[in-house]
Amino acid sequence: MSDIPIATVATTRRRRKRIDLFPYMLIAPICLLLAAVTVYPTLKAVELAMTNASLLRLQRAAFIGLNNFRRMLDDQVFLDGLWRTLRWDLAVVSLELAIALPIALFLNLNFRGRGFVRAAMMVPYITPPAVVGLLFLYMFDGNFGVVNDLLVRAGLIDNYIAWMSSPLASFWIVVSAMVWYGAPLMALILLAALQTIPGELYEAAQVDGASRWSQFVSITIPHILPTIFFLVLLRMIWMSNHIDMIFVMTGGGPGFSNHTEAVYSFMLTNQFQIGYASAIAVVLAAILMFVSAFYVRHLARNVLVNAS
Amino acid sequence: MSAAPRTIRRRRSQVPRRALIGLGAFVVLFYSLAPLIWIFIASITPEHTADFDRAWLSNRQVTYFPDAPTLANYGSLFEAVPFGMYFRNSTIIAGGNMLLTLVIASLGAYGFVRFRFFGRSSFLVATLVAYTIPSVVLLVPLLVIFRTYGLNNTHLGMILAEATHSAPFVLLLLINYFSTLPRDLDEAAQVDGCGRLKVLWRIIIPLSLPGLVAGGLLAFIMTWNNFLFAFLLTSTAEVKTLPVIMRQFALGEPAVWGVSAAGAIVSTLPVALIFLLFQRMLMSGLAAGAVKG
Repeated sequence: MSDIPIATVATTRRRRKRIDLFPYMLIAPICLLLAAVTVYPTLKAVELAMTNASLLRLQRAAFIGLNNFRRMLDDQVFLDGLWRTLRWDLAVVSLELAIALPIALFLNLNFRGRGFVRAAMMVPYITPPAVVGLLFLYMFDGNFGVVNDLLVRAGLIDNYIAWMSSPLASFWIVVSAMVWYGAPLMALILLAALQTIPGELYEAAQVDGASRWSQFVSITIPHILPTIFFLVLLRMIWMSNHIDMIFVMTGGGPGFSNHTEAVYSFMLTNQFQIGYASAIAVVLAAILMFVSAFYVRHLARNVLVNAS
Repeated sequence: MSAAPRTIRRRRSQVPRRALIGLGAFVVLFYSLAPLIWIFIASITPEHTADFDRAWLSNRQVTYFPDAPTLANYGSLFEAVPFGMYFRNSTIIAGGNMLLTLVIASLGAYGFVRFRFFGRSSFLVATLVAYTIPSVVLLVPLLVIFRTYGLNNTHLGMILAEATHSAPFVLLLLINYFSTLPRDLDEAAQVDGCGRLKVLWRIIIPLSLPGLVAGGLLAFIMTWNNFLFAFLLTSTAEVKTLPVIMRQFALGEPAVWGVSAAGAIVSTLPVALIFLLFQRMLMSGLAAGAVKG
């Protein structure tokens, strides 16, 4: 980089004279669109975060500096929201992994009808999240939910329970809806990783008399560990930003019990307090940026390798 | 180990293995399909009080299978709720987004894969960074910007907003796909007198049809399913999409579960059919690309 030979400088200059605009025209549409719908709005979000803007009186929004950020430090909903976000992330991601890994291992076996089972396995991920929310609300309904009925029949509870009005129960029901929806994608990606493990490794291990379990521990797990690490990281980021399922199923309630930071920001937006809502979104994004920097680097390396 | 003991062992383990596989398949199928089957049963269960004026008078009970299955709920879905309009809006927005995304992403991927130019890797990394900006950050400013430019409550606005997810995703997918095509083909075509844009149209596009189908349909499905933008950027029934009405159903309006269940089935059916028809291409697309959300 530092010491460029003179000859190269000369060629660069010559090339610059007849600069080829064609590739720029090819990438212009997508770059302009992304600039308009992501880059510009992101800058706008930072700007809004430093105002007391309300959606009802947008023109009279005043610059208030860092007051919104100071307000967060005294805001109990925000402070508790940090823990609630982490709890939501950990619950969803660990359960997704616990369900996805056995499914992936199972689908990695050779059997007739595997293609069908694999396609059926992905159906939850194709279902619109709002429909998933509706499905789980219906199953856990206090009056005619199938879960209450089964539990009463099994003798585990005496009376129907209004699950969604309990803070803890509603949390776990939203988590199970999210896990039902998200685990298939994780299983699919794990399956793709499992299929890259060369079969000779297992054959060699069999010749050496290694048991199924020790093959799993010393061949399978080390091979898919990077994928698992990556998936967990990525899901944690997306789950921290996730709003749909929580909002559709609970509206963040009962009370503030399901207000993760993303949901809190969204609820504030619905109450027209867009200045403070932006401030919370910006803080959330800044925290997550440290984590997603990893991801961007990984993606960039992959794409740059692929594209060359 | 000699051959004989091995065959014996395999024969002995054949039956339990098959049973275990069957059990595993059943568990996976039950996990992924049971909730949908349950809502389907709900949708064909006759509603005792399919009465929108007195919806609170529901005497619904847990019904494992209705005595007299009916399609009446599907009928009232389209009569009582402007469901047809929501369905149309979802189709316009998801279809429009698919077309827009395919055009700009294939142009962009062609540029990034086949040309070397100043700032290439910077632009590429910038699109990746843009992809990782969470929707939470974009929601409020998009709302403000769309109001300023009169884009809220328009199909065009929704198509553009959804492109924040789908365009970078499809771009990544197509970059991966285009880079697997040999360069010799382009060069041969250029020797034959094809212009550079014609090379994209004549050579690259036809050869990467599976990738384009996967990218386009995944963009369609993502947009069809997305709730957030649809909820926040629309306020009139003219542009609201199916997920928005699904939330109203989830809140218990109009409190007729048979109809809500029918709505859930009709909202899911198009994307489920698309997925099952093109599952091979779509699954490799999903496994390769990094899906947001």
